[in-house]
Amino acid sequence: MNFLSLTGIELQKIRRSKILLILLAPVVIMWLPAIINSEKIQDVQGIPITPEHNFFIQGFMGMVWFMIPATLIICTVLLIQIEQTNHGMKKMLTLPINRRMLCLAKFAVLLLLPAVQMVMSTAAYYGSAFLSSKLQGYDYILPPGYIFPCIGKFYLAALPAAAVFWMIALLIQTPVFAVGTGLALCVPSVLIINTDYWFLHPMSYPFYMLMTEYGKAAKGLYTTDIDWFPWLPVAVMITVVSLAVSCVKMSRYEE
Amino acid sequence: MRFGMELKKLRRTGYFPAFPAGAAAASAFPILNMAVRTEVYTGLPGNPLDILLDASWQMMAMLNILLIVCCTCMMYHTEYAENGIQKMEVLPVRQISLFLRKFLITTAMAALVIMIEFAALAFCILMWFPDAGIDLKEFLCHWSFEVILLLPTIMVSLIIASACRNMWISLGIGVILVFTFSVLPKDYLFLDLCPYCSPYQLLTAAEENGHAALFLGVCIGETALAGMAEHIYLKIRRYFS
Repeated sequence: MNFLSLTGIELQKIRRSKILLILLAPVVIMWLPAIINSEKIQDVQGIPITPEHNFFIQGFMGMVWFMIPATLIICTVLLIQIEQTNHGMKKMLTLPINRRMLCLAKFAVLLLLPAVQMVMSTAAYYGSAFLSSKLQGYDYILPPGYIFPCIGKFYLAALPAAAVFWMIALLIQTPVFAVGTGLALCVPSVLIINTDYWFLHPMSYPFYMLMTEYGKAAKGLYTTDIDWFPWLPVAVMITVVSLAVSCVKMSRYEE
Repeated sequence: MRFGMELKKLRRTGYFPAFPAGAAAASAFPILNMAVRTEVYTGLPGNPLDILLDASWQMMAMLNILLIVCCTCMMYHTEYAENGIQKMEVLPVRQISLFLRKFLITTAMAALVIMIEFAALAFCILMWFPDAGIDLKEFLCHWSFEVILLLPTIMVSLIIASACRNMWISLGIGVILVFTFSVLPKDYLFLDLCPYCSPYQLLTAAEENGHAALFLGVCIGETALAGMAEHIYLKIRRYFS
């Protein structure tokens, strides 16, 4: 079985899992208050930022800080637990498939789900910016040339965290510890991005991306240039090592 | 004996070690914060406990809420995983008493967690504010206030966990609720009284605004109401299962 058909099977497994609703809910919850508060967004509290940038960044702040990593954790729970009912994993492992490939196929699904959520967020952003513009008589809509690369960057920055969560989910068999460790790792990112060693904490990468965008939109608030070094090599290393450990763990998986 | 049964079910799930582990994670926070930024806090005027709580309680409360969400999901996950709940339904045990026992166990564990966290705060005071003594009564007041404010969150999380067969759904709803209340504006009293939001409140601030009794009353009321709602829900569900 090749990689694509394995991924297809994984997608089929989660068809009735209602995960899309779980992905959609925070997106709606995030942008509804934005419409209601669109009047307050005009008050930038002395920060030199345009209201439309303020609207975009404030709206995405909670999402990037907490919801993207938390979504990844929920998706790992889904991918692991869906195999537990009726001994699904046992049946999977009796098939003549490469276990490492199975591990990577599951990881591909793990990457696909937040991508879907990002698409939903983009649509929700445009919907809410459009409605707010109509309500306030001020143009909140930013051009797609700015929005799409921004959201793309948030998404790409979340990939190392996805690999780490996937490794945690496979290594720690007790779900309560796997989930608890993941959630506890998400919480301190607000503090960690203000330290010099933020690049060692993959869960804060998307938030760092957002803060650099904030720095660009509001001069002097945060750094505007991304420190690619040593971030990029560290991020790549974390991702590769986590994936390698997950593959090894999956190839020795026993129920 | 039935209480023992509930405890037995949780034995191999990692439920009991999870609470001290969560408490350790949350307790590490004020200690690290003090160790790194000692001058910022020791120079502040006022009661050391208030300074420490102002600096770190938001983060600690969030960790507590996430711990509760995670552990309550786990509690019902073990029931649903091997259809244990169906077996429980044939026993002469009322579903609601099963639920209430789970609630009591979680509350006891949460009270322990907050106690460990306050012990960590006491350690911080002894370490970095040597002139200030530790007022045990003050600690007990803060501790009991935070435990009571956590009750509605425990209750609602358990209700969600009991309603959802799949762990990712109950966990997803719980995490989304935590997220929702963390992004909502903070200047409405009504929102502060909601489950998932009340644990962030502090006794000192509530007393200053004259809301301490209100918080306690509303939180206990919410817990009782939610408990009754769960009782009705379980009764209705039996007709359809």
